[in-house]
Amino acid sequence: MKKTFAVLGTAAIALTLSAHAVSAQVLFWSTQAAPIEETQKMREQVLAGFEGGVDFQPQEVGPFITRLEAELQAGSGSIGIVGALHGDLSTYADNWVDLSGVDLAGINVSPAFLELGKLGTDEQLYLPWMQANYVMAANKQALEYLPEGADINALTYDQLVAWAKTLAEETGSPKFGFPAGPQGLKHRFFQGFLLPSYAGSTVTKFASAEAEAGWTMFKDLWQYTNPASTNYAFMQEPLLTGDVWVAFDHIARLADAFNQQPENFVAFPAPAGPMGRGFMPVLAGIAVPKGAPDMDASLALVKYMMQPETQVATLLATSFYPVTDAPLPADLPESARAIGPAITAMTAAEDALPALLPVGLGDLGGQFNQVYTDTFERIILGGQPIPDVLEQQAATLRDLMVQANAPCWLPDAASEGPCPVD
Amino acid sequence: MTAITTETDVPRTVESARSAGKFLFIAAIVLICAWVLVPIYLLLVNTLSSPSEVSGFPKTGIPSFDFGSIQFFLSFAGVLKALWNSLLVAVLTMILSIGIGAPAGYALSRFEFPGKEIFRMLVIMTRAFPLPLLALPLAVFFIRTGLDDTALGLAIVHTVLAIPFAVLITFSLFSGIPIELEEAAWTLGCNRLQAFRKVVLPLVLPGIAASAVFAFTISWNEVFAAAVLTIENRTLPAFLVQSLNVSPLHLKFAGGAAMVIPALIFIFAVRKYLFAMWGIANR
Repeated sequence: MKKTFAVLGTAAIALTLSAHAVSAQVLFWSTQAAPIEETQKMREQVLAGFEGGVDFQPQEVGPFITRLEAELQAGSGSIGIVGALHGDLSTYADNWVDLSGVDLAGINVSPAFLELGKLGTDEQLYLPWMQANYVMAANKQALEYLPEGADINALTYDQLVAWAKTLAEETGSPKFGFPAGPQGLKHRFFQGFLLPSYAGSTVTKFASAEAEAGWTMFKDLWQYTNPASTNYAFMQEPLLTGDVWVAFDHIARLADAFNQQPENFVAFPAPAGPMGRGFMPVLAGIAVPKGAPDMDASLALVKYMMQPETQVATLLATSFYPVTDAPLPADLPESARAIGPAITAMTAAEDALPALLPVGLGDLGGQFNQVYTDTFERIILGGQPIPDVLEQQAATLRDLMVQANAPCWLPDAASEGPCPVD
Repeated sequence: MTAITTETDVPRTVESARSAGKFLFIAAIVLICAWVLVPIYLLLVNTLSSPSEVSGFPKTGIPSFDFGSIQFFLSFAGVLKALWNSLLVAVLTMILSIGIGAPAGYALSRFEFPGKEIFRMLVIMTRAFPLPLLALPLAVFFIRTGLDDTALGLAIVHTVLAIPFAVLITFSLFSGIPIELEEAAWTLGCNRLQAFRKVVLPLVLPGIAASAVFAFTISWNEVFAAAVLTIENRTLPAFLVQSLNVSPLHLKFAGGAAMVIPALIFIFAVRKYLFAMWGIANR
């Protein structure tokens, strides 16, 4: 036994010492395209064409930030390029290289997104990479149960509740589905859809009477929601199995349903509340840390990511849409063809009310999301009285905003100092 | 009820009590086996089923031997290398934690020295700090010293996690060997080292193997430090677990199987030592 150990040990140590060769690939450190199939496509279809090679490494936000901070503190490291959501990138504004020198001749990047990428400075600290959104999807069988007079492209939440109710009563089981599982994006629904639509605010009016009305509606809706929802992460799966007929989710998490059975599903905008049609556009950007090991290669990769062909390949790999005017090919996958119009209908609606992803929270982002998740769990799953829960969670939220010293972001009105919670 | 009222006060035979005990014994064995085997069985069935069977109902419980998920897995760039790295780090962790932990356990059980109790507490204290808290300063330090992104660096971190168990397990092992045995060896001409090697070591070897397996498992399962401290030389959990978290169900199962099976094979290979620790002769 001892001998085996000794042999193994010697072999292992010899191997570690010999196998530590430095590779010349650019390390792409990303929070996006983490699902394993998307990762595979990013590597094979998007990044394979880059000369010199790319090591694409998607991460969860926790390790992503820890590693990034470690490299920033150490002043050197191996990360060549960072891909993350706007909120994550804005936290480390001081550490990004100015990208305004990257040659984008012939490429029209959305000016609004470029402006966001400056993070309030004169420098182009990150370049927009890709965008996404959340929409509703329905099995076509569900359409015949739509409430009378309801237009699927201009639904209200009250109509959605009525629809879910009819579905549950007529088909014998609840057919509305919601990604409330541990890995589901439920918090984004509350932050970007429910509260903005009802209270016109994500943070400031968290505990207002209007917000209370929103939660009351959601509680109604929950009665007609498939109870397995507390386990769902990707709504495409229950949609495909037929357990759920109407669902809300991120477009990347619905895409498979449209790709596998395009004839069975429709995509449509999120419903509207009294204050408008709240929705949450998702913007991911790419940035280069100042300590990147090979700056030229990193900048070349940034340029590569912005090319029209790469932007289209990214759409095919991740279901995130281009941020440039890259011409879309005729043979788009079914998901892009079905979801694209729904997003346009939502963002261009008269009552459109965009709500941004949290900005400036840094590593408190997780706790911020937890406030909304806890509120949901206490009100909807725990059945606790709505005003009490909102009041208690508002206190937590207030502390959090003060701790992060984060000013308000859309749809909340700009604030001096931390965003107030009334 | 009727049986009791008709059969008056006949005393139960010893056999019937014995057979009841036997029934309970077998039932307990079946339950414990099911406890372990059913999840592994479900994991394997779902790994070998097509995606639609995995998410559909009702389940047949019989694999359809669809190798799509596994194939996707093995073709996923870097899985095999990550598997190799995982093994490497786990073996290094095992060696380091026994190499450091066993002498500490021996010292704790055989010698009296000031601060012994505090030392025992402190050893456990290394588990009191959550890794996400330690990972940042560790990563900064590793980058500066060049330990960053090496199997050895990660093994050192995992050793820190495994050492409390190694120390405490070996401490109780050595305490279980009477000092008189060693003393007898000394009187017969052994020096301290020889007495340890020829008398004590053969007796505690199975236990040491068990604590080595424990160290192996701790390293094998650790995700956070691995994700932060390695880039090119990822271990399998760091490589997969985070991606699997947000992947479709059938790939989760395939990934689960990829994680479980090598560990099972390893434990199967060293089972002899594990059994021996519990006094079941199997040599």
